[in-house]
Amino acid sequence: MWKKMREKAVPYLLILPVVLYYTAFWLRPVITAVIGSFTGADGQFTLHNFVMVFTEENFVPALRNTAVIVVFSVTLEFLVALFLALLINRKFVGSGIFLFLAMIPMALPAAAAGAMWITGLTAHGWINSLLYYLGILAEGKKIYWLAGSELSLLALLIVIDAWQVIPSVMIILLAGLQNMPEETQEAGYVFGGNYLTVLRKITLPMLRPTIQTAVILRLISAIQIWLIVVVLLGFSRLPVLVERVVYYSREVDQLYISYQMASGYTLIVSVIVSLAALAYLQVSGAFKRNKEQAV
Amino acid sequence: MTRKKRVNIYKAAKTTTFYIFVTGVLVAMLLPLYFIVSLSFLSTREAYRYPLPLLPTLTARFELTHGERGYLLSVYDRTTQKYQSVLDTNDLEKMSIYMKYQLATPITIEEIEREIAKLETQDVVYFSHGTNLLYNYETFFKVAGTGQAIPALIRSLEICALTILISLAIGGMAGYAFARYMFRGRDLLKFSVLFVRMFPGVAIAMPMVIILAKMGFYDEPIGLSLVYSVGSIALTVWITASIFMGIPVSLEEAAQVFGATKLQAFLRITLPLALPGLAACAMYAFLGAWNETVSAIILTMFKPTFSVVVYQTVLGAVGQVNLAAAGGMVMALPAVIFTFFLRRYINQMWGGVTV
Repeated sequence: MWKKMREKAVPYLLILPVVLYYTAFWLRPVITAVIGSFTGADGQFTLHNFVMVFTEENFVPALRNTAVIVVFSVTLEFLVALFLALLINRKFVGSGIFLFLAMIPMALPAAAAGAMWITGLTAHGWINSLLYYLGILAEGKKIYWLAGSELSLLALLIVIDAWQVIPSVMIILLAGLQNMPEETQEAGYVFGGNYLTVLRKITLPMLRPTIQTAVILRLISAIQIWLIVVVLLGFSRLPVLVERVVYYSREVDQLYISYQMASGYTLIVSVIVSLAALAYLQVSGAFKRNKEQAV
Repeated sequence: MTRKKRVNIYKAAKTTTFYIFVTGVLVAMLLPLYFIVSLSFLSTREAYRYPLPLLPTLTARFELTHGERGYLLSVYDRTTQKYQSVLDTNDLEKMSIYMKYQLATPITIEEIEREIAKLETQDVVYFSHGTNLLYNYETFFKVAGTGQAIPALIRSLEICALTILISLAIGGMAGYAFARYMFRGRDLLKFSVLFVRMFPGVAIAMPMVIILAKMGFYDEPIGLSLVYSVGSIALTVWITASIFMGIPVSLEEAAQVFGATKLQAFLRITLPLALPGLAACAMYAFLGAWNETVSAIILTMFKPTFSVVVYQTVLGAVGQVNLAAAGGMVMALPAVIFTFFLRRYINQMWGGVTV
């Protein structure tokens, strides 16, 4: 009897440290943050913090810029990566090295990527030099990349993000393509389908789980973009959500409302990311499996 | 015969086009990296040339003549293929300093004196001297973050080590439980862990300012590693669970038949088999802690991490592009090396896991 009880307790004992750790260092900070964002300076319940955040002049631009970056970069990255993956989908000499090299852009720490682009995008930086060497820029002419309008800056950020992310999405899609049994596609051709029909009716539907995973995970990290924006443009020039958090918690931390503002922004980011995370769990079948077990 | 030949030509053309395409993709991916690597080795003078030199100078070539104020130093410029005057002085110390800082050429005053002595007999002296390729790196570690770079590097390594320790110990245990036992709430727990992993780190960092301050861990390496472990524990749980699932229970049972205790069987049989996967977990924990910047900015004050020092150098980059490049390279190096070992686990790199 005792022995059986002990046997049953083993897995719970093994999991206990994680539960305790997450209670102390995840749940507790999250609850603190939520309570904090509804508490005024006098310790009373208030919605004033959110009113402050929502009425800040940079709130709407921050939300809009983040949304633009997320929507366009994820769409662009996915389409280009899919195109590349379909073209490269075959075994070839040197594919191992190719795949490793393709992982480097994504592996680059944000600070290193920031260094790379800021040194490239200044007027005398390497991008203009490269264009000059290629004969695209005439001598003495320079492009002032960082002096453009808000729209062109957003486009620039999307392209930079695309450079960093496309190779990795491509690898993920390639892995998905290569795990697919060849017979299914062959069957499509046997029944008279051309490349596009097979792609649309067989390959893409079979690739769907991989695509969903890649897109949602990408979404989650795109929402949290900030460092490259600050490195290239400084604070407040092109506000995005997480940039606001850093701005209020570090740049103007002497302000008496700084902490409230930063907390408010963090909560907004958390809610958006959590929704995306739940969507991820939904498509990866987490909830379905739970239900099955319950029955 | 001819048909076979035509097929061969067609196939060869197809293969060639394919390789050209792959090469094109590679070039687009690697060009920016090439420039930052090369920039990190350029001397300050070269780094501010336009167009930027494609390669650093290994041997600087100089020309010395009599100038208006003393000796006129000219340096050979590869783009224009001419000597360009850079300094006119009779202060040899100043000349030596200029050559060291601006041209990354470590040359002593005595060496300059020797060259100048030749001016007695001839009008022009040509000489060359090897450059110090690592000059930017040395300077970065000396000046970045007002001398904070090396302490910050040590601190970052300390944070990484603590994060690896915490997440392997806590996450590994849970991973083993998920792999070997069926119990109530197993899936719910496993997916809750995944949810925590995806939760934005910055959202925990903000309230942690207060919590860590109460614990006395604010602005301390241990404080940050507690925050970073939240994400890496989750990843460790998922990776180790799949590793332990791949190791048959029968091996452990066999060992127990031969008289080993359960713990011995685990330590002697399962653990060694799981080592490669555990190493991967350790590398992920390292990368997560090494690359992170937001929480590090929020949770440190006087003791920044290495990523914060690099970030600050990059922010002031317009004044010292080659230093920012060198800092970025130091930051990128471990990330690239570990990625090489982790290339089989690409999906995890995203912060997600293959479900």
